Amino acid sequence: MQLALPARAANIAVVRHAFGALGEAFAVDEETLSNIRLAVTEACTNVVVHAYPDDHEGPLEVAATLLSEDKLEVVVRDEGPGIGPRADSPGLGLGLPLIVSLTESVQLGRAADDRTEVRMTFPLSPARS
Amino acid sequence: MTNTPAQDRPDQQDEQPVANSVTLRVANGPLAAPVLGRVISMVLARADCPMNRLDDAMILCDALSAHAPAHARDSHIVFTMATDARGIELRVGELAGRGAGELLADADVPGVGNVLERLSDELRIETSSSADPARAEELVLKLCFG
Repeated sequence: MQLALPARAANIAVVRHAFGALGEAFAVDEETLSNIRLAVTEACTNVVVHAYPDDHEGPLEVAATLLSEDKLEVVVRDEGPGIGPRADSPGLGLGLPLIVSLTESVQLGRAADDRTEVRMTFPLSPARS
Repeated sequence: MTNTPAQDRPDQQDEQPVANSVTLRVANGPLAAPVLGRVISMVLARADCPMNRLDDAMILCDALSAHAPAHARDSHIVFTMATDARGIELRVGELAGRGAGELLADADVPGVGNVLERLSDELRIETSSSADPARAEELVLKLCFG
């Protein structure tokens, strides 16, 4: 699944809601789904808040791929300058530590096409019936 | 609890929904129907779509996600949604040559008629201008809010 949309606050809810479909389509337990949605929401919020200057709206891309039956990879990309410390950051700096705590692995970097990306993997636990 | 319509709230009176454009590319399979329904419902809610048209859109999505995979050019379907204050344009691609027409024909329901034709305000088929022999097609539907 790939979503491409303008990086604006209202669209974070679109992405978050889309990921709820994982629970409908696959047997993903509630806690895992909640972790995925929270981590993806944080990554998308970082894009909306930090990736682009106030007077410029850029793209937000989210791709989710099943690497295996029990592993999901989610990549959040933008065309901003990249992830780094900012003295004028409006946030509390909790977003990335939260993502790290919710994921099996996370990589911050640049894609081959020079876009900034956050690459997260999640273990999938089957839903209990 | 009172629920004041957005247009009646003092801080909302001059606000128009901002144009939005969302592209969803999803593999043919169990994720396609639920993710399309969820994405389009959120996009329409953000566009202040009236409830009756939201209901129409969900029926359209059910028909599209049920039949589009059979006419996809490869293993994915691409849905592009563009909203403004007047409505939503939904493009369904990348369909195989003649796939858009066949998808449209699949939406015929005996005794009801063609669901896509009845619920959309505009409907057309567009063919990719690329030199690809598979000639990807798109089915383009428009729903007006008014």
